[in-house]
Amino acid sequence: MNTVIPDVALIDNSDERAPLALVLDCSGSMQEDNKIQLLNDGLKALAADLKADPVAARCGRVLVISFGGDGNVEIMGDWTDAMDFAPPQLLAGGLTPLGAAMRCALDEVESQKSQMRTAGVPYKRPIIMLLSDGEPTDDWRAVAAECKSAETAHKVNIMAIGIGDAANKDTLGHFSNKGALNLSGLKFKELFIWLSRSIRAVSRAPAGGTVQLNPVDSWAQLST
Amino acid sequence: MWRVFSASATGQRNVDQGAAGQDASHCRVTDEVLVAVVCDGAGSAREGRTGANFVAHALAEQLSGTLDAGRHLLDLQAEGGARLEGVVRDAIGAVRGRLGELADASGIALPEYSCTLVGCVAAPGGGCLFHIGDGFAIVQSASGESVLSRPENGEYADETYFVTDENWKEHLRLTPLGAPGRGSVIGLMSDGTAPFAVDRARSGFFRPFIDPVAAYLREAAVPTGNEALRNLLESPRASEISSDDKTLLLAFVL
Repeated sequence: MNTVIPDVALIDNSDERAPLALVLDCSGSMQEDNKIQLLNDGLKALAADLKADPVAARCGRVLVISFGGDGNVEIMGDWTDAMDFAPPQLLAGGLTPLGAAMRCALDEVESQKSQMRTAGVPYKRPIIMLLSDGEPTDDWRAVAAECKSAETAHKVNIMAIGIGDAANKDTLGHFSNKGALNLSGLKFKELFIWLSRSIRAVSRAPAGGTVQLNPVDSWAQLST
Repeated sequence: MWRVFSASATGQRNVDQGAAGQDASHCRVTDEVLVAVVCDGAGSAREGRTGANFVAHALAEQLSGTLDAGRHLLDLQAEGGARLEGVVRDAIGAVRGRLGELADASGIALPEYSCTLVGCVAAPGGGCLFHIGDGFAIVQSASGESVLSRPENGEYADETYFVTDENWKEHLRLTPLGAPGRGSVIGLMSDGTAPFAVDRARSGFFRPFIDPVAAYLREAAVPTGNEALRNLLESPRASEISSDDKTLLLAFVL
Protein backbone atom coordinates (compact mmCIF):
# COMPACT_ATOMS: atom_id res chain seq x y z
CA MET A 1 0.00 0.00 0.00
CA ASN A 2 1.58 3.21 -1.13
CA THR A 3 -0.77 5.77 0.34
CA VAL A 4 1.77 8.21 1.66
CA ILE A 5 2.16 11.37 -0.39
CA PRO A 6 5.93 11.93 -0.71
CA ASP A 7 7.89 15.15 -0.16
CA VAL A 8 5.14 17.23 1.43
CA ALA A 9 6.44 20.10 3.58
CA LEU A 10 4.37 20.34 6.77
CA ILE A 11 5.26 23.66 8.40
CA ASP A 12 3.25 25.85 10.73
CA ASN A 13 2.63 29.13 8.89
CA SER A 14 0.19 30.48 11.45
CA ASP A 15 2.45 32.01 14.12
CA GLU A 16 1.09 35.14 15.68
CA ARG A 17 3.02 38.22 14.62
CA ALA A 18 4.61 40.57 17.13
CA PRO A 19 4.67 44.09 15.63
CA LEU A 20 7.29 46.60 16.86
CA ALA A 21 7.37 50.26 15.80
CA LEU A 22 10.56 52.13 16.69
CA VAL A 23 10.13 55.91 16.94
CA LEU A 24 13.63 57.36 16.96
CA ASP A 25 14.85 60.88 17.64
CA CYS A 26 17.25 62.01 14.89
CA SER A 27 17.29 65.70 15.80
CA GLY A 28 20.48 67.77 15.70
CA SER A 29 21.36 67.07 19.30
CA MET A 30 21.72 63.37 18.50
CA GLN A 31 25.04 64.31 16.82
CA GLU A 32 26.52 65.07 20.22
CA ASP A 33 28.45 62.38 22.07
CA ASN A 34 28.26 60.13 19.02
CA LYS A 35 24.67 59.26 20.00
CA ILE A 36 23.38 58.79 16.46
CA GLN A 37 26.13 56.29 15.70
CA LEU A 38 25.46 54.40 18.93
CA LEU A 39 21.78 54.32 17.97
CA ASN A 40 22.67 52.92 14.54
CA ASP A 41 24.86 50.28 16.18
CA GLY A 42 22.01 49.44 18.54
CA LEU A 43 19.64 48.87 15.62
CA LYS A 44 22.15 46.51 14.05
CA ALA A 45 22.38 44.59 17.32
CA LEU A 46 18.57 44.40 17.42
CA ALA A 47 18.40 43.03 13.87
CA ALA A 48 21.12 40.45 14.52
CA ASP A 49 19.65 39.28 17.82
CA LEU A 50 16.13 38.90 16.38
CA LYS A 51 17.48 36.90 13.44
CA ALA A 52 19.44 34.64 15.80
CA ASP A 53 16.16 33.32 17.23
CA PRO A 54 14.04 31.33 14.76
CA VAL A 55 10.72 32.13 16.45
CA ALA A 56 11.42 35.87 16.82
CA ALA A 57 12.78 35.98 13.25
CA ARG A 58 9.48 34.56 11.95
CA CYS A 59 7.12 36.43 14.25
CA GLY A 60 8.69 39.86 14.68
CA ARG A 61 7.48 42.67 12.39
CA VAL A 62 9.51 45.87 12.51
CA LEU A 63 8.93 49.46 11.36
CA VAL A 64 11.34 52.36 11.91
CA ILE A 65 10.02 55.92 12.10
CA SER A 66 12.60 58.69 12.48
CA PHE A 67 11.97 62.31 13.38
CA GLY A 68 14.29 65.29 12.92
CA GLY A 69 15.51 67.13 9.86
CA ASP A 70 13.32 70.05 8.82
CA GLY A 71 10.47 69.20 11.14
CA ASN A 72 10.10 65.92 9.32
CA VAL A 73 8.80 62.55 10.30
CA GLU A 74 10.05 59.81 8.03
CA ILE A 75 8.81 56.21 7.77
CA MET A 76 11.98 54.32 6.89
CA GLY A 77 10.67 51.63 4.53
CA ASP A 78 7.78 49.22 5.08
CA TRP A 79 6.89 46.87 7.90
CA THR A 80 9.27 43.93 7.50
CA ASP A 81 9.53 40.49 9.06
CA ALA A 82 12.37 40.41 11.58
CA MET A 83 14.16 37.84 9.42
CA ASP A 84 14.35 40.43 6.60
CA PHE A 85 14.96 43.51 8.75
CA ALA A 86 17.85 45.62 7.45
CA PRO A 87 18.30 48.62 9.76
CA PRO A 88 18.37 52.00 7.99
CA GLN A 89 21.37 54.31 8.47
CA LEU A 90 20.04 57.21 10.54
CA LEU A 91 21.45 60.74 10.25
CA ALA A 92 21.03 63.48 12.87
CA GLY A 93 19.91 67.04 12.17
CA GLY A 94 17.05 69.48 12.70
CA LEU A 95 14.16 69.73 15.13
CA THR A 96 12.29 67.33 17.45
CA PRO A 97 8.72 66.84 16.07
CA LEU A 98 7.98 64.13 18.60
CA GLY A 99 4.21 64.60 18.63
CA ALA A 100 3.91 64.16 14.86
CA ALA A 101 6.16 61.10 15.02
CA MET A 102 4.00 59.41 17.66
CA ARG A 103 0.85 60.28 15.71
CA CYS A 104 2.44 58.59 12.70
CA ALA A 105 3.33 55.53 14.81
CA LEU A 106 -0.23 55.15 16.14
CA ASP A 107 -1.60 55.39 12.58
CA GLU A 108 0.93 52.95 11.17
CA VAL A 109 0.26 50.41 13.91
CA GLU A 110 -3.49 50.58 13.37
CA SER A 111 -3.17 50.25 9.61
CA GLN A 112 -0.77 47.30 9.97
CA LYS A 113 -3.25 45.64 12.35
CA SER A 114 -6.07 46.22 9.93
CA GLN A 115 -4.04 44.72 7.06
CA MET A 116 -3.19 41.66 9.13
CA ARG A 117 -6.80 41.32 10.23
CA THR A 118 -8.02 41.47 6.62
CA ALA A 119 -5.52 38.80 5.64
CA GLY A 120 -6.44 36.61 8.62
CA VAL A 121 -2.94 36.85 10.11
CA PRO A 122 -3.09 36.64 13.91
CA TYR A 123 -1.04 39.11 15.92
CA LYS A 124 0.05 40.11 19.41
CA ARG A 125 -0.44 43.53 20.91
CA PRO A 126 2.03 45.81 19.08
CA ILE A 127 4.84 47.64 20.89
CA ILE A 128 5.82 51.23 20.15
CA MET A 129 9.23 52.20 21.51
CA LEU A 130 9.94 55.93 21.62
CA LEU A 131 13.53 57.14 22.08
CA SER A 132 14.27 60.85 22.46
CA ASP A 133 17.06 63.03 23.80
CA GLY A 134 15.35 66.39 23.89
CA GLU A 135 12.27 68.57 24.13
CA PRO A 136 9.49 68.19 21.56
CA THR A 137 9.37 71.16 19.20
CA ASP A 138 5.80 70.53 18.09
CA ASP A 139 2.42 70.24 19.73
CA TRP A 140 2.52 66.89 21.50
CA ARG A 141 -0.08 66.97 24.29
CA ALA A 142 -3.11 65.75 22.34
CA VAL A 143 -1.11 62.89 20.81
CA ALA A 144 0.31 61.91 24.20
CA ALA A 145 -3.23 61.64 25.57
CA GLU A 146 -4.20 59.47 22.61
CA CYS A 147 -1.20 57.25 23.25
CA LYS A 148 -2.31 56.69 26.83
CA SER A 149 -5.87 55.91 25.86
CA ALA A 150 -4.69 53.52 23.12
CA GLU A 151 -2.72 51.71 25.84
CA THR A 152 -5.72 51.63 28.15
CA ALA A 153 -7.80 50.13 25.32
CA HIS A 154 -5.15 47.37 24.94
CA LYS A 155 -4.43 48.52 21.38
CA VAL A 156 -0.71 48.95 21.91
CA ASN A 157 2.11 48.90 24.48
CA ILE A 158 4.21 52.05 24.59
CA MET A 159 7.72 52.36 26.01
CA ALA A 160 9.00 55.91 26.31
CA ILE A 161 12.74 56.23 26.90
CA GLY A 162 14.84 59.33 27.45
CA ILE A 163 18.43 59.55 26.26
CA GLY A 164 20.86 61.53 28.42
CA ASP A 165 20.30 64.38 30.86
CA ALA A 166 18.68 66.76 28.40
CA ALA A 167 15.74 64.42 27.79
CA ASN A 168 12.59 65.69 29.45
CA LYS A 169 11.36 62.65 31.30
CA ASP A 170 8.21 64.43 32.43
CA THR A 171 7.20 65.08 28.85
CA LEU A 172 8.07 61.56 27.70
CA GLY A 173 6.16 60.16 30.65
CA HIS A 174 2.95 61.59 29.21
CA PHE A 175 3.11 59.11 26.30
CA SER A 176 2.70 55.95 28.38
CA ASN A 177 0.67 54.90 31.39
CA LYS A 178 3.87 53.35 32.69
CA GLY A 179 5.74 56.66 32.59
CA ALA A 180 9.19 57.02 31.03
CA LEU A 181 12.56 55.41 31.69
CA ASN A 182 16.01 56.90 31.19
CA LEU A 183 18.79 55.21 29.29
CA SER A 184 21.73 54.73 31.60
CA GLY A 185 24.85 56.28 30.11
CA LEU A 186 24.50 55.60 26.40
CA LYS A 187 23.77 51.90 26.63
CA PHE A 188 21.95 51.70 23.31
CA LYS A 189 23.22 48.23 22.56
CA GLU A 190 22.07 46.82 25.90
CA LEU A 191 18.68 48.48 25.35
CA PHE A 192 18.21 46.92 21.92
CA ILE A 193 19.35 43.48 23.04
CA TRP A 194 16.82 43.73 25.88
CA LEU A 195 14.17 44.74 23.33
CA SER A 196 15.01 41.77 21.12
CA ARG A 197 14.74 39.42 24.11
CA SER A 198 11.36 40.97 24.88
CA ILE A 199 10.18 40.30 21.33
CA ARG A 200 11.46 36.72 21.70
CA ALA A 201 9.36 36.33 24.86
CA VAL A 202 6.28 37.94 23.31
CA SER A 203 6.60 35.70 20.22
CA ARG A 204 6.46 32.61 22.40
CA ALA A 205 3.65 33.70 24.69
CA PRO A 206 0.32 31.92 24.31
CA ALA A 207 -2.48 33.93 22.71
CA GLY A 208 -4.23 36.25 25.13
CA GLY A 209 -1.71 35.65 27.92
CA THR A 210 0.48 38.19 29.65
CA VAL A 211 4.25 38.24 29.25
CA GLN A 212 6.79 38.81 31.98
CA LEU A 213 9.58 40.88 30.43
CA ASN A 214 13.17 40.78 31.62
CA PRO A 215 14.25 43.40 34.15
CA VAL A 216 15.50 46.60 32.56
CA ASP A 217 18.52 47.12 34.81
CA SER A 218 21.00 46.25 32.04
CA TRP A 219 20.26 49.60 30.41
CA ALA A 220 17.87 51.72 32.47
CA GLN A 221 18.81 54.40 34.94
CA LEU A 222 16.33 53.61 37.68
CA SER A 223 17.02 56.53 40.00
CA THR A 224 15.48 59.78 38.83
CA MET B 1 -14.02 17.72 -15.95
CA TRP B 2 -13.66 17.45 -12.13
CA ARG B 3 -11.82 15.04 -9.91
CA VAL B 4 -12.53 15.62 -6.24
CA PHE B 5 -10.68 14.31 -3.19
CA SER B 6 -11.53 14.93 0.43
CA ALA B 7 -10.49 13.74 3.84
CA SER B 8 -11.02 14.64 7.49
CA ALA B 9 -8.87 13.85 10.50
CA THR B 10 -10.11 14.07 14.06
CA GLY B 11 -7.92 16.48 16.01
CA GLN B 12 -5.92 15.31 19.00
CA ARG B 13 -7.98 17.56 21.27
CA ASN B 14 -11.12 15.56 20.43
CA VAL B 15 -9.29 12.22 20.43
CA ASP B 16 -8.05 12.93 23.98
CA GLN B 17 -11.59 13.63 25.12
CA GLY B 18 -12.97 10.56 23.39
CA ALA B 19 -15.01 12.86 21.15
CA ALA B 20 -15.66 12.45 17.44
CA GLY B 21 -14.46 14.95 14.84
CA GLN B 22 -16.68 17.98 14.31
CA ASP B 23 -15.82 18.59 10.63
CA ALA B 24 -17.87 17.45 7.65
CA SER B 25 -17.62 17.80 3.89
CA HIS B 26 -19.78 16.89 0.93
CA CYS B 27 -19.63 17.46 -2.80
CA ARG B 28 -21.78 16.80 -5.83
CA VAL B 29 -20.82 17.03 -9.50
CA THR B 30 -23.72 17.25 -11.96
CA ASP B 31 -23.10 17.93 -15.65
CA GLU B 32 -19.74 19.59 -15.04
CA VAL B 33 -21.11 21.75 -12.23
CA LEU B 34 -19.23 21.19 -8.97
CA VAL B 35 -20.87 22.05 -5.66
CA ALA B 36 -18.73 21.42 -2.58
CA VAL B 37 -19.13 22.37 1.07
CA VAL B 38 -16.92 22.01 4.16
CA CYS B 39 -18.35 22.67 7.64
CA ASP B 40 -16.65 22.84 11.03
CA GLY B 41 -18.90 22.21 14.01
CA ALA B 42 -18.20 24.49 16.97
CA GLY B 43 -16.31 22.68 19.72
CA SER B 44 -18.36 24.60 22.28
CA ALA B 45 -21.69 23.44 20.81
CA ARG B 46 -23.27 20.17 21.98
CA GLU B 47 -24.46 19.13 18.50
CA GLY B 48 -21.74 20.82 16.44
CA ARG B 49 -20.92 17.59 14.66
CA THR B 50 -24.56 17.00 13.73
CA GLY B 51 -24.89 20.59 12.54
CA ALA B 52 -21.77 20.34 10.37
CA ASN B 53 -22.90 17.06 8.80
CA PHE B 54 -26.41 18.32 8.19
CA VAL B 55 -25.35 21.62 6.62
CA ALA B 56 -22.59 20.16 4.42
CA HIS B 57 -24.83 17.45 2.97
CA ALA B 58 -28.08 19.35 2.75
CA LEU B 59 -26.51 22.45 1.24
CA ALA B 60 -24.46 20.67 -1.43
CA GLU B 61 -27.51 18.59 -2.44
CA GLN B 62 -29.90 21.53 -2.36
CA LEU B 63 -27.67 23.78 -4.45
CA SER B 64 -26.84 21.05 -6.90
CA GLY B 65 -30.52 20.23 -7.30
CA THR B 66 -31.56 23.86 -7.74
CA LEU B 67 -28.88 24.55 -10.30
CA ASP B 68 -29.64 21.38 -12.21
CA ALA B 69 -33.38 21.91 -12.26
CA GLY B 70 -34.01 24.07 -15.29
CA ARG B 71 -30.31 23.93 -16.15
CA HIS B 72 -30.23 27.28 -14.64
CA LEU B 73 -26.57 28.00 -14.18
CA LEU B 74 -25.83 29.00 -17.75
CA ASP B 75 -28.68 31.51 -17.62
CA LEU B 76 -27.43 32.85 -14.31
CA GLN B 77 -23.95 33.32 -15.68
CA ALA B 78 -25.30 35.10 -18.72
CA GLU B 79 -26.74 37.70 -16.34
CA GLY B 80 -23.57 38.09 -14.31
CA GLY B 81 -22.88 36.76 -10.82
CA ALA B 82 -25.67 38.52 -8.95
CA ARG B 83 -28.36 35.92 -9.55
CA LEU B 84 -26.07 33.00 -8.74
CA GLU B 85 -25.32 34.72 -5.47
CA GLY B 86 -29.04 35.06 -4.82
CA VAL B 87 -29.49 31.32 -5.43
CA VAL B 88 -26.68 30.54 -2.98
CA ARG B 89 -28.10 32.87 -0.32
CA ASP B 90 -31.57 31.34 -0.68
CA ALA B 91 -30.20 27.81 -0.47
CA ILE B 92 -28.29 28.58 2.74
CA GLY B 93 -31.43 30.20 4.18
CA ALA B 94 -33.49 27.12 3.29
CA VAL B 95 -31.00 24.67 4.79
CA ARG B 96 -30.68 26.80 7.91
CA GLY B 97 -34.49 26.73 8.16
CA ARG B 98 -34.52 22.92 7.94
CA LEU B 99 -31.82 22.72 10.59
CA GLY B 100 -34.03 24.93 12.76
CA GLU B 101 -36.91 22.45 12.30
CA LEU B 102 -34.63 19.58 13.26
CA ALA B 103 -33.55 21.51 16.35
CA ASP B 104 -37.17 22.24 17.32
CA ALA B 105 -38.18 18.61 16.83
CA SER B 106 -35.30 17.52 19.08
CA GLY B 107 -36.04 20.16 21.69
CA ILE B 108 -32.50 21.54 21.34
CA ALA B 109 -31.64 25.19 20.75
CA LEU B 110 -30.34 26.03 17.27
CA PRO B 111 -27.00 27.48 18.55
CA GLU B 112 -26.17 23.99 19.86
CA TYR B 113 -25.78 23.03 16.18
CA SER B 114 -23.32 25.85 15.45
CA CYS B 115 -20.99 25.29 12.51
CA THR B 116 -18.99 27.32 10.04
CA LEU B 117 -19.43 26.99 6.29
CA VAL B 118 -17.06 27.32 3.34
CA GLY B 119 -18.09 26.19 -0.13
CA CYS B 120 -18.06 26.69 -3.87
CA VAL B 121 -20.18 26.44 -6.97
CA ALA B 122 -17.96 26.02 -10.01
CA ALA B 123 -19.01 25.43 -13.61
CA PRO B 124 -17.10 25.69 -16.89
CA GLY B 125 -18.17 29.34 -17.23
CA GLY B 126 -17.50 30.45 -13.64
CA GLY B 127 -19.14 30.32 -10.25
CA CYS B 128 -18.67 31.64 -6.73
CA LEU B 129 -17.25 30.89 -3.29
CA PHE B 130 -19.48 31.24 -0.23
CA HIS B 131 -18.26 31.48 3.33
CA ILE B 132 -19.43 32.07 6.91
CA GLY B 133 -16.80 32.07 9.69
CA ASP B 134 -13.31 30.58 9.62
CA GLY B 135 -11.62 28.11 7.26
CA PHE B 136 -10.29 28.97 3.81
CA ALA B 137 -11.29 28.56 0.18
CA ILE B 138 -8.51 28.91 -2.40
CA VAL B 139 -8.80 28.68 -6.15
CA GLN B 140 -5.37 28.38 -7.74
CA SER B 141 -5.02 28.63 -11.51
CA ALA B 142 -2.52 26.62 -13.57
CA SER B 143 -0.26 29.70 -13.68
CA GLY B 144 -0.33 29.98 -9.88
CA GLU B 145 -2.60 32.99 -9.34
CA SER B 146 -5.07 32.56 -6.51
CA VAL B 147 -8.51 33.77 -5.54
CA LEU B 148 -9.16 33.38 -1.81
CA SER B 149 -11.96 33.49 0.67
CA ARG B 150 -10.24 34.06 4.02
CA PRO B 151 -11.54 33.39 7.54
CA GLU B 152 -13.56 35.99 9.38
CA ASN B 153 -12.60 36.07 13.04
CA GLY B 154 -12.91 38.48 15.89
CA GLU B 155 -9.83 40.59 16.62
CA TYR B 156 -7.97 38.05 18.74
CA ALA B 157 -8.71 34.93 16.71
CA ASP B 158 -10.71 32.49 18.84
CA GLU B 159 -14.18 33.77 18.02
CA THR B 160 -15.84 33.22 14.68
CA TYR B 161 -19.26 33.22 13.01
CA PHE B 162 -21.71 30.42 12.33
CA VAL B 163 -24.48 29.50 9.89
CA THR B 164 -26.73 29.19 12.91
CA ASP B 165 -26.14 32.80 14.02
CA GLU B 166 -29.20 35.04 13.99
CA ASN B 167 -27.35 37.56 11.80
CA TRP B 168 -25.75 35.00 9.46
CA LYS B 169 -26.57 37.13 6.39
CA GLU B 170 -24.25 39.88 7.66
CA HIS B 171 -21.39 37.39 7.82
CA LEU B 172 -22.07 35.53 4.56
CA ARG B 173 -19.27 36.42 2.17
CA LEU B 174 -19.54 35.65 -1.55
CA THR B 175 -16.58 35.76 -3.95
CA PRO B 176 -17.21 35.51 -7.70
CA LEU B 177 -15.09 33.05 -9.69
CA GLY B 178 -14.07 33.17 -13.33
CA ALA B 179 -13.98 30.11 -15.54
CA PRO B 180 -11.71 27.51 -13.92
CA GLY B 181 -9.12 26.62 -16.57
CA ARG B 182 -7.37 23.29 -17.02
CA GLY B 183 -4.84 22.70 -14.27
CA SER B 184 -6.78 24.76 -11.72
CA VAL B 185 -7.35 23.42 -8.24
CA ILE B 186 -10.03 24.46 -5.78
CA GLY B 187 -9.33 23.85 -2.09
CA LEU B 188 -11.82 24.08 0.77
CA MET B 189 -10.52 23.57 4.29
CA SER B 190 -11.43 23.88 7.94
CA ASP B 191 -9.29 26.06 10.20
CA GLY B 192 -7.28 23.09 11.53
CA THR B 193 -5.79 22.52 8.06
CA ALA B 194 -4.98 26.15 7.26
CA PRO B 195 -1.76 26.54 9.33
CA PHE B 196 0.16 24.23 7.00
CA ALA B 197 -1.89 24.42 3.77
CA VAL B 198 -1.93 28.24 3.49
CA ASP B 199 1.17 30.41 3.07
CA ARG B 200 2.37 32.91 5.67
CA ALA B 201 1.03 35.97 3.90
CA ARG B 202 -2.40 34.31 3.52
CA SER B 203 -2.12 34.90 -0.23
CA GLY B 204 -2.61 31.33 -1.45
CA PHE B 205 -1.70 27.71 -0.85
CA PHE B 206 1.68 27.06 0.78
CA ARG B 207 3.38 25.77 -2.36
CA PRO B 208 5.77 23.29 -0.66
CA PHE B 209 2.60 21.70 0.74
CA ILE B 210 0.20 21.80 -2.19
CA ASP B 211 2.56 21.11 -5.09
CA PRO B 212 3.53 17.57 -4.01
CA VAL B 213 -0.05 16.86 -2.91
CA ALA B 214 -1.47 18.01 -6.25
CA ALA B 215 1.17 16.11 -8.24
CA TYR B 216 0.26 12.92 -6.37
CA LEU B 217 -3.50 13.31 -6.53
CA ARG B 218 -3.63 14.18 -10.22
CA GLU B 219 -2.29 10.68 -10.90
CA ALA B 220 -4.31 8.89 -8.21
CA ALA B 221 -7.62 7.06 -8.26
CA VAL B 222 -10.15 8.69 -5.95
CA PRO B 223 -10.24 6.03 -3.17
CA THR B 224 -6.43 5.82 -3.02
CA GLY B 225 -6.11 9.61 -3.12
CA ASN B 226 -8.63 10.05 -0.33
CA GLU B 227 -6.76 7.55 1.82
CA ALA B 228 -3.42 9.26 1.14
CA LEU B 229 -4.91 12.64 1.97
CA ARG B 230 -6.35 11.30 5.23
CA ASN B 231 -2.99 9.79 6.15
CA LEU B 232 -1.40 13.18 5.59
CA LEU B 233 -3.95 15.01 7.77
CA GLU B 234 -3.58 12.36 10.48
CA SER B 235 0.23 12.38 10.36
CA PRO B 236 2.10 13.13 13.61
CA ARG B 237 3.63 16.28 12.11
CA ALA B 238 0.19 17.66 11.15
CA SER B 239 -1.08 16.86 14.66
CA GLU B 240 1.85 18.73 16.18
CA ILE B 241 0.95 21.82 14.19
CA SER B 242 -2.75 21.80 15.07
CA SER B 243 -4.73 19.82 17.62
CA ASP B 244 -7.94 20.84 15.85
CA ASP B 245 -10.01 18.72 13.44
CA LYS B 246 -8.65 18.97 9.91
CA THR B 247 -10.59 18.73 6.66
CA LEU B 248 -9.30 19.32 3.14
CA LEU B 249 -11.34 19.00 -0.03
CA LEU B 250 -9.42 19.42 -3.30
CA ALA B 251 -11.14 19.60 -6.68
CA PHE B 252 -8.96 19.41 -9.80
CA VAL B 253 -9.97 20.56 -13.26
CA LEU B 254 -8.81 17.81 -15.59
